[in-house]
Amino acid sequence: MTDLRDEVTSGAGTRHHTAAAHVLLLRGRVIRWSGFSVRLDVRSTSVCVVLCGLLMVVSLWSISVGDFPISIRDVIATILGNPTEDSEFIVGTLRLPRVLVGIGVGATFGMSGAIFQSLVRNPLGSPDMIGFNAGAALGAVTAIVWFDGSPTQVSAGAVAGGIVAALAVYLLAWKRGVQAYRLVLVGIGAGFAVNAFIDYLITRAEINDVQRATVWLTGSLNGRSWDEVRIVAVALAALGPLAIIMQRRLDRLDLGDDTAAALGINVARSKLALVLVAVCLASLGVAAAGPIAFVAFVAGPIARRLANSPSACIVPAAFVGALVTVVADLAARRLLAPTELPVGIMTAALGAPYLLWLLARQARTGAL
Amino acid sequence: MNSQHPPSSRLQADGVRLAYDDAVVVDDLDLQVPDGQITVIVGPNACGKSTLLRSLARLLKPSAGRVLLDGDLIHSMPTKEVARRLGLLPQSPIAPEGILVVDLVARGRTPHQKLFQQWSESDERAVRAALTATDTLELADRAVDELSGGQRQRVWIAMALAQETELLLLDEPTTFLDITHQIDVLDLVRDLNEHEGRTVVVVLHDLNLACRYAHHIVMMREGDIVASGPPAQVITADSVRNVFGLRSVVIDDPVSATPLVIPADQRQHGRSDDQ
Repeated sequence: MTDLRDEVTSGAGTRHHTAAAHVLLLRGRVIRWSGFSVRLDVRSTSVCVVLCGLLMVVSLWSISVGDFPISIRDVIATILGNPTEDSEFIVGTLRLPRVLVGIGVGATFGMSGAIFQSLVRNPLGSPDMIGFNAGAALGAVTAIVWFDGSPTQVSAGAVAGGIVAALAVYLLAWKRGVQAYRLVLVGIGAGFAVNAFIDYLITRAEINDVQRATVWLTGSLNGRSWDEVRIVAVALAALGPLAIIMQRRLDRLDLGDDTAAALGINVARSKLALVLVAVCLASLGVAAAGPIAFVAFVAGPIARRLANSPSACIVPAAFVGALVTVVADLAARRLLAPTELPVGIMTAALGAPYLLWLLARQARTGAL
Repeated sequence: MNSQHPPSSRLQADGVRLAYDDAVVVDDLDLQVPDGQITVIVGPNACGKSTLLRSLARLLKPSAGRVLLDGDLIHSMPTKEVARRLGLLPQSPIAPEGILVVDLVARGRTPHQKLFQQWSESDERAVRAALTATDTLELADRAVDELSGGQRQRVWIAMALAQETELLLLDEPTTFLDITHQIDVLDLVRDLNEHEGRTVVVVLHDLNLACRYAHHIVMMREGDIVASGPPAQVITADSVRNVFGLRSVVIDDPVSATPLVIPADQRQHGRSDDQ
């Protein structure tokens, strides 16, 4: 392992540099072995480790508290496969899947938000702002109301809805290329239109479906089962690594399309792939827990600030998204206990002030 | 530079037509970029200079004709392969917020990297060499946002240098720079050409600087190449009037003995006196 801030010794030590020539202040550490090399950003990695620790603590706490408190020790024992009589049902069936869905959904939203905000070059470009999550919700509601869908069908509906919404917003915003601000404004408009259509669907639906759909629409982790855990697990396992691999291209695209192309990036293909991955991540998150507001919106900027990095910070954003969601859900469950609020209300309470601040700032600097 | 022996050309355009949507900017244009020389493209605004440069760099696909790099059709080559041989600095590249100089320059190594070859020793050498050549090594840990215009331009050039391509295309690298920084940037271009033998194509607005630094000048008007060759042959009072619609007197630059264009008083019909 070589710290680039220190001297770098070359392979056989055949070259001699002056000491000054060795100092290269590149962020991070490089691990090299036989022709391969991996560059690790120390600060980003530490941020992820700390967030992961916090996430575990909050998750255990969240599983432990409730109308039937269960000691942290019993929680851990149950997760490790030695349940007590009470804990098996409460932890294994009720609270553990709920927390896992929260983590998974937060991570998918966080990654998706970080990708879109970087592509659009604007923090307002996250999928929950520009109507993509609403599109996914429409797809899912359609699956619930018209087909009484299984979790797989709801997921498929959400992904289809998300992709259609993304396509529609993109085409509507197209005017010899896509300008970020047009995309954001068109996206916000499309979000309203989609929500109106969802309302229409709800008024025409069976009363039982309506209840299932409306609770789900506010973004709720209440009553999430292992079915939803499976949805987010598959989403993260299949799309997470793709997103991480493509971060390199995303960061080159951040230099402008021409510069990225000059650096050997296939701009059109990379953008399409990134959009597809990000839409699917967000849509599957929506399929599992409904369109929880503002998680995708706040995760990226927080992650970038924590990691102090000019890159898109996809992985830190996943951890931030997960932590925000789990904390918000804990607050939603316990703040007015025994009444439970949907987690979407808590995240909205967190996200709305940030949105106002951002709008005020962008209006002042003329970015929007 | 002698005209009997045309130098070889790794990069050439062959009867290209370039258009944005329906608007044809350049039609049936031929250009050979002479190897190992500095070629400067000049011409009035909107004459198609930057469009031509973008097509030479594979960023714009000609609707007719072809661009050849080492004899191959550049638009059928893999993007990465092109990026290992040919570097381009666009007119207004965007620096991500808060990025450090060294991180930006390091991104020039992209075409030489793979998923698990993220930072090799040759990457390291190239970045250090690029920072040294552009005199930005001491800025390495500064944020790009904090730099002056001239420093920033040198950093962008360093990024293109780190790409280690023998062909380098620069689109108006001196725009928005004061005269000192313009000279800095062009001296750097000359160093790269003289010491490292790189072939450089630059789009410039300033005719006098173009004459001073170019081996080969390409003069464009309304999408056509009107004249090309050594500055002394290309830049004359007639060609300046023809291309720019400007009456002028062309004298020898007292420093470099290259042509120096002095605008005449446009309100008078007579020519002002030569000195």
